[in-house]
Amino acid sequence: MQMTMRSFFIGLALAIAFALIGYEANRFVAYLIYAVAISAIGALSLNLLIGFCGQITFAQGALVGVGAYAGGILGNAGWGGLSLLGAGIFGALLSMLVGLPALRLRGLYFAISTLAAQFILSYLFKILVPWTNGVSGLVVKQLSLFGRPVASDQEYAVICVALLFLSWAFIGRVMQTNVGRAFLVVRESELVARGMGIDVSQTKLKAFLLSGFFAGLCGGLFAFTSRLANPEAFEIGLSVDQTAMIIVGGLGSLAGSLVGAAFVTLLPEAIQRLGELLPSADLISAFREMAFGILIVLFLLLEPRGLVALARRLGARREGPSSSVARSGTGVLQSGVAVSAQNRRKL
Amino acid sequence: MKQLMVGAAVAVTIAISGPARAEITVCTWGTITGPDALVNGMTYGTRDYLEYLNQTKGGIAGNKVRVLMLDGRYKLDEELKIYRRCADQEQAVVINGWSTGASKALRDQIQEDGIPFISESFASEVLDPKKYPFTFIAGPTYEQQMIIALRDLATKGGKKVVLMFSDNEYGRGPVDVVKKSGIIEKLGLEVVDLVEYRYDAQDMTAQMLRVKGKNPDLVYVQGSTPQVLVALRDAAKVALPAKLFVGNLYNISPAIPQQLGPAAEGFRTVQTYAFFGDNIPAMKEIETYAQKNEVEKKDIYFIKGWLKGKVIAAAIEKVIQKNNGQVPTDIKTFRKAVRDEMEALKDFDTGGITPPFTYADHQGSVQARVAEIKNGQYAAVGEWIDAQ
Amino acid sequence: MIALQLAIAGVAAGSVYALIALGIVLIYKCSGVVNFAQGAYAMLGAYITYFFLHLGFPSIVSVLAGMALMALAGMITERLILRRMLKAQIVSVMMVTLGLLIFLKAACLAIWGPDQIAFPQIFPSGAIDFAGIFITYNYVAAFALASALNIGFLLFYRFTSLGLMQRCAADNSRAALAIGIHVSNQVSIAWAVSAALAGLGGTLLASLGGLSLGISDIGLIAFPVIVVGGLDSLAGALIAGFLLGILEAFTEGILTPNLEEFLRSVSNVQSVGALQQVIPYALLVLMLLLRPQGIFGRRGAERV
Repeated sequence: MQMTMRSFFIGLALAIAFALIGYEANRFVAYLIYAVAISAIGALSLNLLIGFCGQITFAQGALVGVGAYAGGILGNAGWGGLSLLGAGIFGALLSMLVGLPALRLRGLYFAISTLAAQFILSYLFKILVPWTNGVSGLVVKQLSLFGRPVASDQEYAVICVALLFLSWAFIGRVMQTNVGRAFLVVRESELVARGMGIDVSQTKLKAFLLSGFFAGLCGGLFAFTSRLANPEAFEIGLSVDQTAMIIVGGLGSLAGSLVGAAFVTLLPEAIQRLGELLPSADLISAFREMAFGILIVLFLLLEPRGLVALARRLGARREGPSSSVARSGTGVLQSGVAVSAQNRRKL
Repeated sequence: MKQLMVGAAVAVTIAISGPARAEITVCTWGTITGPDALVNGMTYGTRDYLEYLNQTKGGIAGNKVRVLMLDGRYKLDEELKIYRRCADQEQAVVINGWSTGASKALRDQIQEDGIPFISESFASEVLDPKKYPFTFIAGPTYEQQMIIALRDLATKGGKKVVLMFSDNEYGRGPVDVVKKSGIIEKLGLEVVDLVEYRYDAQDMTAQMLRVKGKNPDLVYVQGSTPQVLVALRDAAKVALPAKLFVGNLYNISPAIPQQLGPAAEGFRTVQTYAFFGDNIPAMKEIETYAQKNEVEKKDIYFIKGWLKGKVIAAAIEKVIQKNNGQVPTDIKTFRKAVRDEMEALKDFDTGGITPPFTYADHQGSVQARVAEIKNGQYAAVGEWIDAQ
Repeated sequence: MIALQLAIAGVAAGSVYALIALGIVLIYKCSGVVNFAQGAYAMLGAYITYFFLHLGFPSIVSVLAGMALMALAGMITERLILRRMLKAQIVSVMMVTLGLLIFLKAACLAIWGPDQIAFPQIFPSGAIDFAGIFITYNYVAAFALASALNIGFLLFYRFTSLGLMQRCAADNSRAALAIGIHVSNQVSIAWAVSAALAGLGGTLLASLGGLSLGISDIGLIAFPVIVVGGLDSLAGALIAGFLLGILEAFTEGILTPNLEEFLRSVSNVQSVGALQQVIPYALLVLMLLLRPQGIFGRRGAERV
């Protein structure tokens, strides 16, 4: 329990730090901060499902999209801050729908059904013109909080970092309760879970509900910060991106979701800047993508438990044999040391 | 002590004599890699024109221009990120953006930032000189292009029209606008079918059969070149002649006659700029540039890019002239001044790329011609028609 | 005779889907992995074949060279990557194949650029014009070649000794080892053959529709095919491929126009968009709900 309190406060400190940086920085830096924060919320929601509960899903992109459209529609209708709540709720509901087949289908088959859900929802985004404005995209007015419109990138950075912190703390807390522990047991073995008296179906549905809420929140923030919700942004590519984030960061690790989100969002930009030293413009983009692909493969081959585990390994080597090295993915809130070490490197 | 005094005097002299060489930064982005990379000559063209000025004239009024060309990859979040970088970090005085989606999403922000923004989009939703005074486009809108083609049909006595379009914003948007405006009926024409196809469709036999069944006099395609290729190829399969088809400016591509051969003969497009290689002053400039530099895309889109470069350079030059030959040091004033000069361009000479135009409507040249594929080449047919 | 024309287009497309799906099922049977990079193999195969054609080699040589190099690529993938991930979680392995897809797409982008490339004619041009139906030789050849390989492969798998070894290794690798089958070799062979088939599929697609990075999307169409056919049934993949090809063609050619006409007359709705793309997935969901093992799959592996 000590570790938990410690990581909570470290997380709080980091959140405050980033919020301040985001508020004072120029627009580009503020943008990067909230882009990472929004992706991190999405990564957390996905990790909840895949990492903590073992349910493989490809529908993340579409669920984020549901949140984006819901948030945008409600925002345009004047719901203010509540539109984000609405975005989360719609995300949760759709997520449950997508998850229903999980009650009857096994792993791989369920995963394929989520693939179908992704494509079908993508199609619906384009077709349901009266709601989504179809392929033209839904123009979203600025988020209005407590009557004031949120106009600047810096303000959005603060809001997104705050919401990220709250999401992280909330999910962390859930994982400490029986509900969260049930997720972990179901992931390891449904048979054992049943033997322990856990209602597997209910547990899975709860996981989908929770995951969907945060996916929806991610989408809502996305809509308000881009001022446009268009179908092309929520296709399978987004699912792949966020899955890459949690794999690179660490499956089943809260800190890993954040670290992975930062990595996957910022790495292409870093390569881009490096690549601008090259003469040819289209080669830069090609190399960015190649690097992305290779990194995914390398991580999965060499350190499948992600950056967080890598950091712990390096940390353990530095501190000597007496330091405890947490075990694979069953740890709930990760060691604060790893978090702060990673984040310091991030800065 | 004496040396120090002399040194100080020299330093002060230098400081007050030469003009402050502030930097001019122009930012341009396009789909360098991505679905519509085929037409990214427009982005290269703008960059190349400004580089041409740097090389041959030392820049604009003696000030070198720093041009940044970035890859938007046709992804909205990428484009939004690039915009912020250009607006803030790079302190660009003019930004040249790409997609309709990004131009719409950034609508309000561009006005708030006060940065003159030229969009490659031809969507009418992006154009509104009163509400969005900082946003410009470079040519007639898709809707205007379509109307030109329809007008042409009406004068020739045609009646039945099929509209084909891709299932994205680029396809649906303009078709919706034209349909709602009622102008088709006003011209005495009838839309016998609307055929939407997947934006990356590789086979359109089914669609062509459908079109054939309606026996139209004209099939207007609002789509990207790769799909126009597929459509014409499959049209030939079902014995539907290419001369029934008309595309917009973005369908002028040597790939069509190259890959389809005789099946492309008779295909027409709306043409809004001169062809690459036409005998015009702008082409001579390009040839000069090509002697020492690599020209990536030798097509009509590059010409459009060259045109935009001219517009940007002309506006900046006027600003510098009016500012006693100095580049304004405050970026906000600089940007506003450039915008005002762009709007004030009158009878602007584009070196033959288009007839001289006035930029007050934020569109520039709204004249267009019809071009047709004859003997494997695009050739202009008829005169410049005013789109309005 | 629209229906017949559509059916023919559908069957030709379907034979290529079957080719890709066959590869995925083969790998699934042997490695238990769903290979998301199959579409990338198809794309890479097409580009490699193009490379040889561009250098002036005759069509047959180029196509075979493409297939051979893809077989090599498949084997390398298996040895270098998959073998090291035998103990990893399923989601990790699937992500590795996804990472491979991203990498291969980017590599082709770097080498050949983002634009569409005209694929040289590998089949004689011209068409059969018969009773109002127009079939280009391209389609005929694509269908013939794809079907020949599909059926040939099935026969090989069923009736040859190598095929028998493949089946043993796929069915029960421990037992196979026990009777002396070099299982890891068999797995490599499976990957090599899958990649080669995919490569040919890509080449055929390029010959029909032009060469571009978008060919890799064919990997996604394969999923409805394998679910409908049965994840572990090769014959199922073949038949489902044809079925889905025809379904797509009919949706595009008959269902969509009629549906749109109907909708336009009773409401404001103008179009149903890319219905033919989503219908296979709707079918997939239906199949999973009613008969998850697919038409030909074995019962039991899929339900909780």
